[in-house]
Amino acid sequence: MITLHKTAATVLGVAALALGVAACGSSTNTTGTAAASKPASGSSATISGAGSTFAAPVYEQWGSSGSASGVTVNYQAVGSGAGITALEDKTVDFGASDPPLKAEEETALKKIGEPVQIPMFLGAITISYNLPGVKAGLKLEGTTIADIYLGKIKTWNDPAIKALNPGVSLPSTPITVIHRSDSSGTSAGFTGFLAAVDPEWASKVGSGKVVPWPTGTGEKGNAGVAGGVQQTTGAIGYVEQAYALQHNFTTADVKNKAGNFIAPSLASTSAAAEGIVLPANLAFAIKNPSSPQAYPITSQTFVMVYKDMCKAGVPGGKSAAEGVKKFLEYGLGEGQSILSKADYATLPATILAKSKAAVAGLTCEGSPLS
Amino acid sequence: MSVPAATPDRLARFAVSKRRRRTDRFARGMLLAATLIALVPLVLIVYYLLKKGLGAWSVNFFTTDPTGSTFFGGSSIGGIKSAILGTIEMVAVASAIAIPIGLGVALWLVEYGRPTWFAHTVRFFVDVLTGVPSIVFGLFIYIALILGTGSSYAGIKGSLALSLLMLPVVIRSAEVILQLVPGALRESALALGAPRWRVIFRVVLPTALTGMLTGVLLAVARAAGETAPLLFTAGHTNKTNFDLSQFMNSLPYQIYNDVTSPTTAVVNRAWGAALTLVTMILILNLIARLVARRTRLA
Amino acid sequence: MEAASIPSGDRSLLERSPLARLPDRALKYGLTILAGLILVLIVYFFVRLFDEARPAFEASGVFGFVFKNDWNPAAEHYYALPLVLGTLLTSGLALLIGVPVAVATAVYLTELCPRRALSPLTILVELLAAVPSVVYGLWGIFFLAPKLQPAEQWFAETFSFVPFVGGGLVTIPNCFVAGLILAIMILPIVSAIAREVMSTVPPDHKEAALGLGATRWEMIRMAVIPYCRSGIVGGAMLGLGRAIGETIAVTIVIGDSPTLAKHLFGQGYTLAAVIANEFGEATGLHRSALFAAALVLFVLTLLVNAIARLIVLRAARGGRTPQATGGAANVGAAAAVGA
Repeated sequence: MITLHKTAATVLGVAALALGVAACGSSTNTTGTAAASKPASGSSATISGAGSTFAAPVYEQWGSSGSASGVTVNYQAVGSGAGITALEDKTVDFGASDPPLKAEEETALKKIGEPVQIPMFLGAITISYNLPGVKAGLKLEGTTIADIYLGKIKTWNDPAIKALNPGVSLPSTPITVIHRSDSSGTSAGFTGFLAAVDPEWASKVGSGKVVPWPTGTGEKGNAGVAGGVQQTTGAIGYVEQAYALQHNFTTADVKNKAGNFIAPSLASTSAAAEGIVLPANLAFAIKNPSSPQAYPITSQTFVMVYKDMCKAGVPGGKSAAEGVKKFLEYGLGEGQSILSKADYATLPATILAKSKAAVAGLTCEGSPLS
Repeated sequence: MSVPAATPDRLARFAVSKRRRRTDRFARGMLLAATLIALVPLVLIVYYLLKKGLGAWSVNFFTTDPTGSTFFGGSSIGGIKSAILGTIEMVAVASAIAIPIGLGVALWLVEYGRPTWFAHTVRFFVDVLTGVPSIVFGLFIYIALILGTGSSYAGIKGSLALSLLMLPVVIRSAEVILQLVPGALRESALALGAPRWRVIFRVVLPTALTGMLTGVLLAVARAAGETAPLLFTAGHTNKTNFDLSQFMNSLPYQIYNDVTSPTTAVVNRAWGAALTLVTMILILNLIARLVARRTRLA
Repeated sequence: MEAASIPSGDRSLLERSPLARLPDRALKYGLTILAGLILVLIVYFFVRLFDEARPAFEASGVFGFVFKNDWNPAAEHYYALPLVLGTLLTSGLALLIGVPVAVATAVYLTELCPRRALSPLTILVELLAAVPSVVYGLWGIFFLAPKLQPAEQWFAETFSFVPFVGGGLVTIPNCFVAGLILAIMILPIVSAIAREVMSTVPPDHKEAALGLGATRWEMIRMAVIPYCRSGIVGGAMLGLGRAIGETIAVTIVIGDSPTLAKHLFGQGYTLAAVIANEFGEATGLHRSALFAAALVLFVLTLLVNAIARLIVLRAARGGRTPQATGGAANVGAAAAVGA
C-alpha cells in the first residue's frame, strides 16, 4: 500500500535529517577539536595527515590503534603533491611528501606559517626482472637501464648487458619494459636517477612524476608494475623496495657513482644518504649518491608541518599539535625499529639527530609543545 | 453460412514457412545465448571474488576496525568494521538526498514541464551530468566545500559527492519509466474527478514503482562501489565513526588502499572487503524487491 | 433513482474549492522550484569547473586542447587529442558490445524466459552492477587481460591487413580489454531499463501480432522493439554516460599511454583516466588542464546525447512508431520533444 511507502520514505527522511543535524550540530568542522579525539584518560589523541603513498604504510603503522606512540593517525595516501596541497588548505595536521618542497610550494606555505621539513626515512627503487634461469643480482648500469627504457636495447642477450655480466648466460628473450602509468614519486625517483646518469635520457625524456615514456607498457600503481613483471617472462620494471623484498622479486645490482654494483638492501639504501650536507631547512634530495656502498636509486621522504601549528590553525587544534609532536618523536625514536621489519631503510644518525631537533623546536602559540 | 472444415490441406495455407520457423528458432537461440554470455563475466567475477576473498572472512573480520598496522600480518591488521558502517551510513545519507530529489525532478519533467524550454534545459544538463567521471564529482565538492573554506574532510561531504553521482541516474531512469505510464490511466483518474496530485501519488507512482525501484537500486549500487568521489571528500580513518562531520572510512576506499599493499594478509583483506560489498548490495536488492512485491499485492 | 441534475451552463457544482486546489498548486510549484534548483546547482557546477579550467584553455587554446596531439605534463604541454580519441574508442566499443547484449538479455528475460528462472536470472544480471569499479579493474588486469592476450595475438595476426586491428604490439593492458570491461559494466543498467520498458508493452500489441500469424521472434521484432525504441535509447545513453565517465576500472586496464592509440590491442588513455591518475600530484597548470579535460568530457557526453536524441526524433517523425493507446501517444510525444 502507498501508506507503507510513505511511512518508509518519511522514516528514512527523518532519520537522515536527524543524522545530519546530529552530525553538524555536535562539532563545527572548522577547527574541529573533534570531540571524538580528545583523550579522556590515557586514550590516544587523533591527528590527520595526507600525502606520500610510499610512506603511507609506515605512518599508518605508527599511528595504528594500540601502537606504542599513543597517537591515532587518520592518513590519506593521496600522493605527495596532494599532501602538500592539503597542508596548505589546512585540511590536515601534517603533510607527507617524498620530494622536498619546491620554491613555489614553500612560498605558499609561508603565507600561513613557517613550514618545517623533517626527513623521516629512506626507501629504494629496485630494478626487478622476470627471467627464469637468471638469478638475482644481474649487473646493470644506469646508462644500460636508460637504453632499455629508451627502447634501444631490445633483448636480454644484448651485448651491452652481456658485457656487464660475463659469467651469466642470457636468453634471447625480448625485453618487456614496464613503467608506471600514474603520477608518482617512484617514477620521479627512477627517472631522476636516469636523467642524472644518462644525458640522452635527460634530453629526450627528462624526469618527473609523469614523463613521456618512449616505450613500454604502463601499469597503474606499484602493485600494477609488480604484477606486470610477474605476468610476463622477460619483463623489467621498477618496483619499490618494500614490495620487492616482501615478495622476493629478482632484483638487479645497479652501478653507483663510485663504480660498485650494489644490491638494493636496507644497508645500501641507508648508505645512500651518508655524506649529504644538509641545508638549514633539512631539505635534500638524493641524486646519484657518492658513497661507495650506496644503492644509487634511493628516495627520501619528509613530513611537513608548520612550526607553530596552533597559530597556523590546523584542523586538530592544540591537541593535534601535541599529538603530531608525540607521533614524530615516536617515529624518529622507537618507531625506527619497525622500519627494518617493514623493509624500509633508516636515515644515517647525523640526519636523524637533526630531524629530532627540528621536532623539538615545534611550538604552539610561541611556547614549546609539551 | 457454414464455416469450411479445417482440413489439413486448408490449414497448410496458414502454416508458418520453414524459413520463418528457422529464423524464429535461430533468433530465440541467439537471445538465450546472449543472456548466458552476459552472465559469464558475472560467474567469473564472483568465482574470482570468492576464491580470493572468502578466506579473509571471519567473525573478527566483521567486528573489528582496521588497525592501520600492516607490517605484521595475521590478526594484528584488524577487520573492516569501520569501512562497512561508513559505507552504509554515507550511502544511506546520499540516497536519502538523491532519491527524493531525483524522483521529484523526474516527476516534474514528465508531468508538468514537458513542452517548455525550461524542461529541455534541465533534461539537457542532466544528460550531460550522466557522463561526468565519478572523480569529478568529488573534485567539485572539494573545490566548493573544502578548498579555501578552512574546513576539512567530512563524511557528509563524501555523501554529497555520492548523491551528485546518483542524481542523474535516478532522474533519467525514473523519467524513462514514468513516461511509459499509459496516458489512459491518468486520464481516467482525472475524468473521475481526482485532483492532479492524487493522480500522481495514487495512480502514476505506484504503477511506475517497480521500474523506478530498479533504477534506484542501480544508482545505490553504483554509489556504494565508487572510490573516486570519496578520495578528496570523506577523508580516511580506521576507527568506526558515526559522526558525519568527521573523517569516515568506506569499503571502496579500504579496498583501494589495501589492494596495493605489499603484505599478503592485507591484500586478502581487500578482496574479503570486495566480496562483502557485493554481498551487501545483493542483500539490499533482495530486500527491496521483496518489499516492492509485498507492497504491490497488498 | 434520479441522477443529480446539473444546471446547464453552471459549472460551479463541479468546481473544487480554492482550498482543495491548493495541494495541486503546491505540488506543481514545489516541483518546478526543485527542478530550478537542480538547474542552478548544475550550472554552478559547470561554472566553477570552467573557472578552474580556464588557465589551461588559455595556455593551449580551446581548439588546440581538443585537437592537437601532445599530452606531456613534464613539459607542460596539454593537448588532449589522444585522450579524446581514446575516450571515444573505448566508449564506442562498450556501446557496440554492451548494448546489443543488454537488449538481447532484456528481450529474453521479458519474452522468452521460463517463469521460474526469471527472478534468479534478473537478480544475476543486476548483480553485475553491484561489483565495485575497482574490482572490475583488478579482475580485468589480473585475470581477463592475460587470458585474452593469446586470442588477441592470433586475431591481430590473422587480420593484420585491417588497418586499425593488426600490425602492432599486443600489450596485456589495451584498449580492447578496456572497452570490453566497460561493456560488462554498462550491461546491467542498459538491460534493466530496457527490461522495464519492455514489460510495459501493452499485451494487445503482442497478441495482435501473434494473432496475425507472426512467430515469436517476428512478434518481438514488430511489436516490442519499435515500441521500446526511445526507452532503449534512454537506457543506452545512461550506459554511455557510465562508459565515458568510468575512471578507476579503465585506468587499471588501458595502459595509460598518452599517445594516439594506433591499434585496438595497444595501450591508450581516456580523459577520465588521466584525471584519476594525475590529479593527486598535479598543481597549477597541470591541475587546470585536468579540469579542462573534465569539461571536454561534458561536451562529448552532450554531443553524443544530442545525436542520439536526434536519431530517436527522426525515427518517431518517420511515423514508424506504432500508435496505440494513450501510452504510445505519450511515448511519441516524449520522443518528439526529445526524450
